[in-house]
Amino acid sequence: MQPSLHGTPRGREVVLEQVRITGLALRREALVVAVVLAIVSVPIFVDIANGTAGTWFDSSDWVPLGVISLLFPFAMWRGEKRFAPSFFWTLPVDRRKLALTRVFAGWVWLMVALAIFFCWHRGLALLSGVAGAETTSLMAFPGTTTFYLFGSAFVLGLRHPLRWFLGTFGVFFLLASLNEAVGRTPEGHSRLFMSSSFLRWIAYGPYGIDTLLDSKALQSVLNAATRGVIPTFFWLAAGLAVLWAAASRHGERRRH
Amino acid sequence: MSSLPEHAVERGELAVVTHALSMRYGRETALEGVDLRVPEGAVYVLIGTNGAGKSTAMKVLLNLVRPDSGRAEVFGLDTASRGAEVRAQIGYIPESHAHDYAWMTCGRLMQHAAAHYPSWDHAYAAQLVEVFGVRADRKLGTLSKGEARRLQFVLALAHRPPLLLLDEPTDGLDPVMRNGTLAQLAGHLADTPTTVIIATHHVHEVESLADHVGVLREGRLAAQMTRDDLRRMVARYRVEVPEGWQPPSELRVLRRSRTGREMQWTLAGERDDVTARLAAAGATVRDVTALSLEEAALAFLSEEEAA
Repeated sequence: MQPSLHGTPRGREVVLEQVRITGLALRREALVVAVVLAIVSVPIFVDIANGTAGTWFDSSDWVPLGVISLLFPFAMWRGEKRFAPSFFWTLPVDRRKLALTRVFAGWVWLMVALAIFFCWHRGLALLSGVAGAETTSLMAFPGTTTFYLFGSAFVLGLRHPLRWFLGTFGVFFLLASLNEAVGRTPEGHSRLFMSSSFLRWIAYGPYGIDTLLDSKALQSVLNAATRGVIPTFFWLAAGLAVLWAAASRHGERRRH
Repeated sequence: MSSLPEHAVERGELAVVTHALSMRYGRETALEGVDLRVPEGAVYVLIGTNGAGKSTAMKVLLNLVRPDSGRAEVFGLDTASRGAEVRAQIGYIPESHAHDYAWMTCGRLMQHAAAHYPSWDHAYAAQLVEVFGVRADRKLGTLSKGEARRLQFVLALAHRPPLLLLDEPTDGLDPVMRNGTLAQLAGHLADTPTTVIIATHHVHEVESLADHVGVLREGRLAAQMTRDDLRRMVARYRVEVPEGWQPPSELRVLRRSRTGREMQWTLAGERDDVTARLAAAGATVRDVTALSLEEAALAFLSEEEAA
């Protein structure tokens, strides 16, 4: 006679709990960001009072947001033994699903944080009288999502993600240094990347990194008729694919 | 040596079955062809020295680690392909006391666990919190070993799992709390139909609970039987032998010592059969002493050296 077996939790319950617990785990980071924004607000308010705040809002460069999104998963998975038996993996949920649920929970909070940042940024821009397309762009949402997906794939898929991240960062730093040494074309493109058709495609092609980082692509999300939608979704799809592969390392049938 | 009947497997009466489980960590053998048979409702004590493979066997059942070969089933569910369902049936106390979420309070961790176990019994959890003296407002990072262990007991028992995997469960508990915890565990088993696997090398602590025994030595299952069989089949024989006497080769000698012409042997086998064989070989059996669970387990653990 077999005992009555217990069921597994409903997906909705797991998602809600993971969102709650991830939010709690990130309280310290949220506090740090809030303090930084509060500190940065002070000189902006001073400049607004002096009527010289325009310079704070004339950048359409969202690279810092991308970097933060890339690093966000490191904070989120901090302390979790991803490649060792731990409490997280003893939960009665399919392991790959559980990992992806945690990633989803982090994404929810990242989007909440981004929305708050946008409100702050746009609110200050309105106060300063600098409103319009140059201030903020909704493109940052898919852009940061893509970086977040790649960051999550790093953390979930690699035993030593920080080493890999620093290595990758080092390569980019070297390339950037080389890039500056070589100089730019009159159009502002890197001579280094323009020197080869492959590098040109990687950097400035319709699916290139520049398209991902540049606000042109971000704005294109608002206007599906423009060319930027496809590259944006191309990178999103690539991020999802890489994340799936990384999460699959933790699948029920994988050996640790 | 196994006296657990194979036909029980066919009748689906076994809670846990493993088939030739083998696993290595690098060059170290953790498990080698292990065939566990744990009947439903049993309290199965898995005995072994440090590194014998007890913890690894439990992790395989939870699908926390995957074996190199072989497979395992819990209540007929394959642990590799139906890991989530298997884990829903298990309350687990790991060997380690450390918890990953140092920032979290005990109360929040219980809430977290409750969200993942539909069978979580909130009233029972509250009762366990009271009994084990767990303070819900304490952060995990500030818990002592004993406090962490008590919290792990609450987490393992509160969803009334059909299978409990307890890895060195009394480790970190002071003697008073250890007795209280084992009494609470006995009470739980009386209230809730549960199969239990306890991995330990402190056999005397769980001797009163155990009804089945498995002995792991260097990753191999040296013995597996009911407690009654163990008492019947493993005994210390005091024998007097003539000069130059050689023991019958078919006897399974676990331990031996000698004083003059008198020998004390710990032997495995049916008592009457062993006595008859010794007598037939010319030895005089002076007396036969039954062993405690711990003594018998130690005899199996030291078998190789004795041989």
